[in-house]
Amino acid sequence: MSMKKNYVVETIRKAQMVQLLAQGKRIDERALDQTRPITIETGLIQKANGSARVTLGNTQVIAGVKIATGTPFPDTPDKGLLVVNAEILPMASPYAEPGPPSEEAIELARVVDRGIRESEMVDLTKLCLVPGKTVVTVFVDCNVMNVDGNLFDATSYAVVAALRTAKMKKYVVKDEKAEAKDEMIPVPVERTPVSVTLARIGDKMVIDPSTEEEASMDMRITITTDDEGHICASQKGEASTITPAQVLEAADLSLKVGRAIRDQIIEATK
Amino acid sequence: MEAKKKLISSGKRLDGRSWDDLRPIKLQVGLMKNADGSAYIEWGKNKIMAAVYGPKEVHPKHQVLPDRALLRCRYHMAPFSVDERKNPAPSRREIEISKVIREALEPAVIVEDYPRTAIEVWVEVLQSDGGSRCAGLTAASLALADAGINMRDMVSGCSCGIIDDTVVADLDDTEDKEGSGDMPVAIMPNLGQVTLLQVDGMYTREQFQKAFELAIEKGKQIYGMQREALTTRFFGGEAVSTQVEEVAE
Amino acid sequence: MPMMERKQVIPGDVITRGNYRYGSYIEKRGDEYIALRVGLAEVGRDGVKLNPLTGPYLPRAEDDVIGKVVDVNGFGWVVDINSCFDGFLPASFVFGREFSPSTHDLSSKFRVGDMIGARIESFERSRDPQLSIRGHGYGKIDSGEIIKISPTKVPRLIGRRGAMINLISEKTGCDVRVGQNGVVVVTGPAEGIVKTAKAVKMVEEEAHAADLMTKVEAYLGVGTDGGS
Repeated sequence: MSMKKNYVVETIRKAQMVQLLAQGKRIDERALDQTRPITIETGLIQKANGSARVTLGNTQVIAGVKIATGTPFPDTPDKGLLVVNAEILPMASPYAEPGPPSEEAIELARVVDRGIRESEMVDLTKLCLVPGKTVVTVFVDCNVMNVDGNLFDATSYAVVAALRTAKMKKYVVKDEKAEAKDEMIPVPVERTPVSVTLARIGDKMVIDPSTEEEASMDMRITITTDDEGHICASQKGEASTITPAQVLEAADLSLKVGRAIRDQIIEATK
Repeated sequence: MEAKKKLISSGKRLDGRSWDDLRPIKLQVGLMKNADGSAYIEWGKNKIMAAVYGPKEVHPKHQVLPDRALLRCRYHMAPFSVDERKNPAPSRREIEISKVIREALEPAVIVEDYPRTAIEVWVEVLQSDGGSRCAGLTAASLALADAGINMRDMVSGCSCGIIDDTVVADLDDTEDKEGSGDMPVAIMPNLGQVTLLQVDGMYTREQFQKAFELAIEKGKQIYGMQREALTTRFFGGEAVSTQVEEVAE
Repeated sequence: MPMMERKQVIPGDVITRGNYRYGSYIEKRGDEYIALRVGLAEVGRDGVKLNPLTGPYLPRAEDDVIGKVVDVNGFGWVVDINSCFDGFLPASFVFGREFSPSTHDLSSKFRVGDMIGARIESFERSRDPQLSIRGHGYGKIDSGEIIKISPTKVPRLIGRRGAMINLISEKTGCDVRVGQNGVVVVTGPAEGIVKTAKAVKMVEEEAHAADLMTKVEAYLGVGTDGGS
């Protein structure tokens, strides 16, 4: 699916936006470092091993976890597999089209994957059944249902919530053969990475940009942090520049704002 | 040797229903903010979102029809919607179902009112459990009405079939897999026309007629639920007819 | 006072039977009048009418619309008019017949992102609607709050001979400009704009209610002391 970057923000709106930003306000009355309301619902897809629906303002993403067995990569014979996919559904936006994933959808999936993987949220060594032969594969597939800016964070929260509440069959290994029992155990989750995205409009950085703000931004940066205050992943987007000072400012904002969001995700997935 | 599981016994199916009971159905219109029209359906364990964009410009331009709208439809199953994770790329089954749903909806849509445009219908199955094409097109018909596209009638669907040699309404996934016949049917209820019919299985002539007529009867029941969903969305409750004083313009 | 029947209908419903004149969104089958949209049907002396509660804006010649310039090419401006087709404003309509791309810079007049008030000059089946800005009040809209509503609610927002829009404008102290295509631009004092936006939302959500005018009057404080 391709997303033609076709949304044109009205000059009047952009002028109002810039004027308000100079006063420390945003066009939807949020503070510069304030996210839109986040809702997290889990367990909506019973056939999936885990699932979550996240809304971030009007942006909506559903993530589903499916467990299977597979063969490990040759260079990591004792690690399970984690596969994160994302599709921006044609129904999500007038600018989205059906078809193979666009570069936007692929970047979305890979950035979200990086945040999950580098934070070691899922301990892949606990998913090894028969080293070199059989491991557990965790698929997380994301459907973006409605686009209203900041797909990165909404998708990341949905993946994290789905993984935190996912259950899998317990595997028992006998004679190098893995057998699934009926007993359900949680997918081994160690920590809760949180993604925070900032957009630059003029010379101001705003957190969690809406569609209008994304259409007015000239630079975006997404930073994922973990429970211990580590920075695990980051991606700068848009064809523009960012100063070193802005990078560090973004890192600090992400750590600060990420903490409250982490609390909300943990509360919603207890 | 294990005896074959009975799907219906003493008039009760595995989930407790009798032969002509529908599974629980819930419909909600207008949940998707960007789409021009949308409807969400839960039908048994099926969970499906249908959304419509249009009328809109045709891309690529060479496909434009000078005297009518081009109706496009995509039925797609999310990878997490079924027991074994499904590859996101469209399968042959999804492509066929997309086509039959489009052909079921098109007789109801007055495409001649929107020349040189496209009307796009997106059906996304979030969880699947038998009868998803009828559930999908039922939601799609609501989404088209929600979008305000001129329609000569609604389209309502239900699947009937055979389990343990008994004609039953609304097969779930287990009954479809283990049974001996499935027949999805969609109708335009006011015009009394069938717009979708697929049959697989082994029916006697009597069973065929019984299942077919049962599907039509159930389609009409589904239509009643669609009416209720639209009434809730647009009229905030009961659809009423009132006498008012006529005022000069 | 003659009575007329008002009925809430969905596509496929029989509105009435008989022999009447009938309007848009209705199909006659034999002696039955069938609704083609979700809406409010009326059967009275003027015949059978259907006021739809949802649906797209289809361009009509002589409609006043408010649009957004989305592209500028050598011959004019492509304008998003919230419809299935973009409108086109020919440069020659603005610069005159002597216009030439080499001597006139289109961006100096309107750029991508500008809001403009225009009239639909013509809409032929074979090409996109042509816009014109000739006349008083048309052209670039420099400021204001932009509100989008369903185009089917525009008649209710304007009201019989402008009754609703005049009421809102008077009580909020704002200038409220309504395009037939569902785009509204409000200018005026900040509190007035907030009130106007709420009143417009109310009209959109309660368009089906018979007592809409009463509700809006109540909200705006008509007939009470201290109402502004």
